[in-house]
Amino acid sequence: MRSGIKSLNTASNTSAPPDASLSHRIKRNLFDTPFDSLLTGVCGLVLAYLLYQIVDWAFLSSIWTAEQEPLCRDASGACWSVIDARHRIILFGLFPFEEHWRSTLACVVMIGTIVASCFPWFWTGKKLSVLWLCGFGTFYLLMHGGLFGLSVITPEKWGGLALTIFIFAAVSLIGMPLSILLALGRRSKLPIIARMVGLFIDFFRSLPLLTILFAAAVITPFLLPGWLQGDKLYRVIVGFAIFFACYQAENIRAGLQAIPAGQDEAGLTLGLNYRQRVSRIQLPQAFRNSLPSIVNQFVITFKETSIVTIVGFFEILASGQAAYGTGQWTQHYIEVYVFIAAIYFVFVFSLSRYGAYLEKKLRVGHD
Amino acid sequence: MTDNKADNVPAVSMSGVNKWFGDFQVLKNIELNVSVGEKIVICGPSGSGKSTLIRCVCKLEDHQQGEISVLGTELNDDVANIDEIRREVGMVFQQFNLFPHMTVLENCTLALNLVRKKNRKEAEDIAMSLLEKVHIPDQAKKYPGELSGGQQQRVAIARSLCMNPEIMLFDEPTSALDPEMISEVLDVMVSLAEEGMTMLCVTHEMGFARRVADRVIFMDQGEIVEQNDPISFFDNPANERTKLFLSQILHH
Ligand SMILES: Nc1ncnc2c1ncn2[C@@H]1O[C@H](COP(=O)(O)OP(=O)(O)O)[C@@H](O)[C@H]1O
Ligand SMILES: [Mg+2]
Repeated sequence: MRSGIKSLNTASNTSAPPDASLSHRIKRNLFDTPFDSLLTGVCGLVLAYLLYQIVDWAFLSSIWTAEQEPLCRDASGACWSVIDARHRIILFGLFPFEEHWRSTLACVVMIGTIVASCFPWFWTGKKLSVLWLCGFGTFYLLMHGGLFGLSVITPEKWGGLALTIFIFAAVSLIGMPLSILLALGRRSKLPIIARMVGLFIDFFRSLPLLTILFAAAVITPFLLPGWLQGDKLYRVIVGFAIFFACYQAENIRAGLQAIPAGQDEAGLTLGLNYRQRVSRIQLPQAFRNSLPSIVNQFVITFKETSIVTIVGFFEILASGQAAYGTGQWTQHYIEVYVFIAAIYFVFVFSLSRYGAYLEKKLRVGHD
Repeated sequence: MTDNKADNVPAVSMSGVNKWFGDFQVLKNIELNVSVGEKIVICGPSGSGKSTLIRCVCKLEDHQQGEISVLGTELNDDVANIDEIRREVGMVFQQFNLFPHMTVLENCTLALNLVRKKNRKEAEDIAMSLLEKVHIPDQAKKYPGELSGGQQQRVAIARSLCMNPEIMLFDEPTSALDPEMISEVLDVMVSLAEEGMTMLCVTHEMGFARRVADRVIFMDQGEIVEQNDPISFFDNPANERTKLFLSQILHH
């Protein structure tokens, strides 16, 4: 803290050349006064000690393979044996053992689809639709089977990472178009539509996600005719997608509201119709305006997928609990949670970095 | 360009036009006929309804009473005919209103692609020829935010001209510009006038008015107070309000 303030002062007061050498900057910011040096030294020691403890626990004193599990009792480090022995449960849940390759491939396809749609080259309605139709179709075919000699595996057997990714992708796929419609609807010139859409959005935003998922899983079967119900998983996803869309719609609407009225008028005088103005002028600018909150909503949604455990699905967190829940593994829950946290981290951190990259890229040439 | 239009069909005709914003009457009993090829300059104090008047011509605003016809077609609530009219009428705004997320070239080709259904090559050829006409073909790949105000306004003019309109409307096209950039925009407008474009310009650039206008219209409080050819208008204004306004804008 102290040295941070100092560095600000020196930056503004002196005419130090901006390319001052690294060692010089370190000296200035960390060792300027004896007190600074003491503070830096103490903090450095504490940090080094913590780092050593972590590295020691995770790598130096840890046990790695399932066969070495008996050694775990006496080892001071992590017992990664639990991951070696139980990772299939964590990643695949109750998916039949001999079909795990299908679940793996499905995850790879879906992650590939998500990554591909991050490239601006795909950003036209047509390309995105084709990409997601193919990606989602392949994912579903691999997971569900029933064609090309693949045995049928019903959704209640899906689990682990594949289920987490499926829920996230499906919620995004249904939720994004819905959120655009809701955002446009709430800005409709027809007061009835604007009012109704506003009511819809505010209604779902004021309910906890848990309530919506419970309603979708447990209550809707009493309300909907049999042919409309679908599997419990699909009902839960639709409920989740509506919840996502209501929040995302407000983010998009904020982006739309920031566009000067003259933009739409310029489109009008060029003879563009409503659809063309929305897709070419309004939405691109709205997405650019509220990109941080739009990405944020995806991040929140990815993490919230774990809530489906409550209505009886074994997504990655729940299947992790199952992984350490039996026999000799019960003490090793920390290792399991660290493993799952690492997986979450990879996804969520990539997502936020991508958001930051996009913000920079879209700002090029503007204001 | 103009001879194939039937004789005596005015480019714009407004009769008995009244318009209100809530209780406030912005346009009062407007009578205006603009023939094809005519150049009109509209001036008047701020808030007198000039913008509203020309925005009614391309139906950015609805009028509540009276009749407005553009190239012989009446503006009513019939959507197809509104779109048709808008394609024949170009509009240039005080704030340029270029699309900031598109390059200069994309700004110009957008409507050629979507509305005129030109393919990419045709659209870019047309756009480049008009960017040359406004003297900035070398900026085609830049984004509007990278250009000066004067350059942006010239792009906005080129973008409108791409649609090959019969009538051009200008709403204070130089008011948001730094003084040194005004003449580059006015030069483009003058050459457009010399080519015979029908123009309605809201502007206080009196030099421009003297040079190209066939008629100067003075508006105050929603009314057309006086209209005349530029020489008589500036040298012998008849109405007291016109005299006051002219003395205000000419002496400072
Ligand atoms: N959308 C609107 N709603 C309410 N009043 C408006 C609106 N647009 C313009 N006005 C009012 O109408 C009057 C005329 O506006 P305008 O045509 O822009 O004048 P000018 O262009 O001559 O300065 C002004 O008093 C303005 O405040
Ligand atoms: Mg105005």
